[in-house]
Amino acid sequence: MSRFQQLTALASLILLGGCASTIPANVAGAGTQLEMRQIQTRQYDTLDKAMTMRSVIATLQDLGFTIDQADAELGTITATRLHDYTMRMTVTVLQRDASQISVRANARIGENAVTDAATYQDFFVVLDKAMFLTLQNVD
Amino acid sequence: MNRAVYILLLVAGLGACATTSIPESALRLPESTLDIRSIQTRTMQASSEIVILSAAIAVLQDMEFNIDRIEKPLGVITASKVNDADSKSEKTNLIFLDILCAMGGGGGCDATSTASDEQQITLTMVVLPRLAHAGEYSVRITIQRVIFDKMDRAKVLERIDDAGTYQTIFDNLRKSLFLQEGDT
Repeated sequence: MSRFQQLTALASLILLGGCASTIPANVAGAGTQLEMRQIQTRQYDTLDKAMTMRSVIATLQDLGFTIDQADAELGTITATRLHDYTMRMTVTVLQRDASQISVRANARIGENAVTDAATYQDFFVVLDKAMFLTLQNVD
Repeated sequence: MNRAVYILLLVAGLGACATTSIPESALRLPESTLDIRSIQTRTMQASSEIVILSAAIAVLQDMEFNIDRIEKPLGVITASKVNDADSKSEKTNLIFLDILCAMGGGGGCDATSTASDEQQITLTMVVLPRLAHAGEYSVRITIQRVIFDKMDRAKVLERIDDAGTYQTIFDNLRKSLFLQEGDT
């Protein structure tokens, strides 16, 4: 066996070993807490929590989700989309201070958490439009 | 073994560790959004929110759904049902495939196990008062289903986009609303 063959065989073994580790429960998730909160959260200049929740529900329906559960008091909405893959989202609507409402969304596709900022940005682009229409009393 | 095979093994090793990527357009609105929204939405008149919500619940029961959750302040009703997805023509085709497979001398001929067995249908109905029109309500329905095969494996995951299905539900809801208004 040449030196090249020995080296590639060793590298392959290391890679295989890396994949075959024991499976961690990963209860706490992999993301950085503060960073993920920033990616997943937007503030809106309104105090109308009910209207904000209605906009979130309309946005989720536009995106092809069905609503699994919604709680007006806690401001939580959970929805599922069945496509080629299963996507689940939980959106929370909270009054942040005296003038703003905070909307936080987190999503999973199958067994993977969605962590990229662009996907959440896409969601908030759709929600921004729905919020604008709702606050302008357009339905 | 030549050098190319070693390199192929190395690349395969790297590939095995790669995680599934998130689809780029996962949360972007598709172009068909407006069409789908109009298929899924109707405006109805009712004397109160309770009347239209009660009519909606009654029509879901008529259609043999179980109500999973209701959040009245948001007008959200979630319902589901499991029903038969057995199709004779699909089964016939799969049996034919199995026979062909067996005649060809192939082992493990089990196409019939992939036949559809049952489907779980989930439905969300959102009933909201129209802000600019007192006494009018906007009703939007979204429906999805999972079809399982004989081995209990999820075979199809899809949103129901068929306009006729939604129209039938809205027709039933109008009848239910008429009956409900008569009761109050």
